[in-house]
Amino acid sequence: MQHVKVPQDRIGVLIGEGGETMREIEQRAEVRLDIDSGSGAVAIDQVGDPVSGMLAPDIVRAIGRGFTPESALSILDDELRTFELVDLDSHTRNKNDLRRQKGRLIGEDGRTRELMEELTGAEVVIKGSTLGAIGQPEEVSAVRRAVGMILDGAPHGAVYSFLERKHNELTQGFDVRQSG
Amino acid sequence: MSESETSRDKWGIAHVHASFNNTLITVTDLTGAETIVKSSGGAVVKQNRDEASPYAAMQMAESVAEEIKAAGIKGLHVRVRGPGGNDIKSPGPGAQATIRALARAGLEIGRIEDVTPIPHDGTRAPKNRRL
Repeated sequence: MQHVKVPQDRIGVLIGEGGETMREIEQRAEVRLDIDSGSGAVAIDQVGDPVSGMLAPDIVRAIGRGFTPESALSILDDELRTFELVDLDSHTRNKNDLRRQKGRLIGEDGRTRELMEELTGAEVVIKGSTLGAIGQPEEVSAVRRAVGMILDGAPHGAVYSFLERKHNELTQGFDVRQSG
Repeated sequence: MSESETSRDKWGIAHVHASFNNTLITVTDLTGAETIVKSSGGAVVKQNRDEASPYAAMQMAESVAEEIKAAGIKGLHVRVRGPGGNDIKSPGPGAQATIRALARAGLEIGRIEDVTPIPHDGTRAPKNRRL
């Protein structure tokens, strides 16, 4: 049994129309969700296959951090798909700095965030003080590195060229296994 | 689970220590005192930075699974552990891959437990590092 906290404004999404989304998660991850819509606490109980049940907290957390239910459930689609959360709060000095860094991460008209998604193939969502990414492990780690660069104050151009390089690595040299 | 001592339905515990630099798999009997097999990232990859990768973990789990089955164990409880303490509390990338690969190799997976050491307020945490 595990507990996850979901912010008030995502509870509705987690439950879905008439409990639709909640039931789909319960069915596909073989768990039972106990959602307290007052406090936002979600208790997750495993009922079936422990391997998929292990991912249920990640799915709930992803929905809580702004992902759509479809993309959150895509974690189950494939063996290695992972969800990662970067806490921007701990990497910024204060509220104003958080606002500024979020603006830098999102970019003008969302350009930076979109480029991160396009060039790595992962899905990136920024909500509140967190940045979440869902994708293959290499894609997610590329996003993580790019986010680290931006938070460190790297100019956007440098980050774009890093992403461009990663994009080439990920698409061409299809050697996800280690090359001896 | 019945306590029949036929060699075919024995259970074991897989201790998976997944950090961001390596993944260690140790399979013991239910007491945890007798190690049956162990493996780590360095046993399957050449480059140090690949030791923690999920692909390495999968390969390790596959070879470990074979040896376990040879030892007459049909199912495993899993205890995953991240670096813990003042470090990152969530298990690294190798943990999930290990469990999946073990399950796919035909071993039954029992309970999955997170045994990452959590400080009950110990020493002061180091200041935040950049990603």
